Amino acid sequence: MTDDYLDPTDSVAVPRKTAPRPASLDGKVVTLLDISKAKGDHLLDRVEELLRERTGVRTIVRKKKPTFARPAPDALRAEIVGATDVLVEGLAD
Amino acid sequence: MHDGVFFEDHGIPTATVISSEFVRAASAQATALGSGEYRTVVVAHPIQPLTREEVRALADKAFDEILARLTR
Amino acid sequence: MTDGLPVVPPTRERVARAVEACGRAADELIALVPPNFGRATVEKIAINAVMAGCRPDYLPVVIAAVEAVCDERFDLHGVSATTNSTAQLIVVNGPVREALEINCGANLFGPGWRANATIGRALRLVCVNLGGAVPGVVSMSTFAHPGRYTYCIGEWEAQNPWESLAVEHGFAPTDSTVALLAADAPITVYDQRSRTAADLCATLAGTLAVIEHHKMTHWGDTLLVLSPAHAATIAGDGWSKADVRRFLFERLQWPVRELVPGVNGGDGLPDHVLRKFADPAHDATLVPKFRAPEHIKLVVAGGTAGRFSAVVPGWTFSKGSNLVFRRIR
Repeated sequence: MTDDYLDPTDSVAVPRKTAPRPASLDGKVVTLLDISKAKGDHLLDRVEELLRERTGVRTIVRKKKPTFARPAPDALRAEIVGATDVLVEGLAD
Repeated sequence: MHDGVFFEDHGIPTATVISSEFVRAASAQATALGSGEYRTVVVAHPIQPLTREEVRALADKAFDEILARLTR
Repeated sequence: MTDGLPVVPPTRERVARAVEACGRAADELIALVPPNFGRATVEKIAINAVMAGCRPDYLPVVIAAVEAVCDERFDLHGVSATTNSTAQLIVVNGPVREALEINCGANLFGPGWRANATIGRALRLVCVNLGGAVPGVVSMSTFAHPGRYTYCIGEWEAQNPWESLAVEHGFAPTDSTVALLAADAPITVYDQRSRTAADLCATLAGTLAVIEHHKMTHWGDTLLVLSPAHAATIAGDGWSKADVRRFLFERLQWPVRELVPGVNGGDGLPDHVLRKFADPAHDATLVPKFRAPEHIKLVVAGGTAGRFSAVVPGWTFSKGSNLVFRRIR
């Protein structure tokens, strides 16, 4: 009987890899993506200072999602993908 | 998590900073999106009642881990 | 895979009966359900509807509701992940409401009607099983509320002195529709004695003033469910729905200086709003509770014996969830 029960769920996960890492941030473009949750900007402000003090990053780009309640819009994602080496996103609480 | 998984999938090393209450949610979400090995940088919860200085102190504490997450 | 209550086993035969009743192909893709983007095919929705206890003829309503919550404007991603308490409220308009005996009268939000009990429940199961909104894992809601078991009402068009919610939003009275709101639990508003529209609306404003937080501003879609008696009092004074909305909107605004964090509560206007004022602590500029009068949505429903209304707060931060309609096919 139980064989005849249908599955209410759907698994859509396609296995994805994480990106290869550089040896250091020297000469890299770093994007700091603010998810627009209150106080996240304070965290990213400090991360930006620390990146400048302690690493050899070339450029730091600041971006902001319109709202934390949704994934970043496609246009913003595309803009970031074309123009950065690494990314820091925050702050989700 | 959707953003982090998307950027990793597009070849961009990403460090997503979350607060400790969301560790389980983030990992369940990453797994559901097919990226179970995706890992986050965790800071202490809660954030909303903190002052600017207190939030900056969280960044100081998490910075080494952010760097570690972005490089090999 | 359930809401904790027993479910009806989704046998091949029961699911096939539901799919057949809606006259659509089992493998037709209705939507991808955020945040996991599981594929809500007609058959997958039918499986969840059977589990919820739906009759086969309820399936078109469930399908329309799934379509609506998966519309980007609803932001199911945020609704399913938020620490806030929101649940998906279904408001049914049109002939299907009577045909399926969807309750729109006494005990509106309560138990007793199979359609209300199971259509809302089916949508919840879809959000968990296909969307991944597992309580305590992805759904991090602090409290949630009982509407997450089921949250489905009809509008009582015959008792409505104005246009129905659906007609007001561009549908024909002959259309059957669902309207989906990311909704907090209903708050009952007691007013037995007001005999004028202005008196009654002042009462309603008092409850609307405190939703979410008494200093919350720029709020969006929120439902005001007027009982037939309250609707009759307001309409009897010659007020239109627009008059009600304008009255409430104008009454629900406060000077910046009263909304500053630390004044009458530690929360208040967010930093990016405060920055617009040179001296917020003394600024008299009025800030409204709602972004526009149109965000106050009016529905007439509930029992005829009592003089009450209900406020159903939305979950509507500035780029958050909006009321979304779908026609039932």
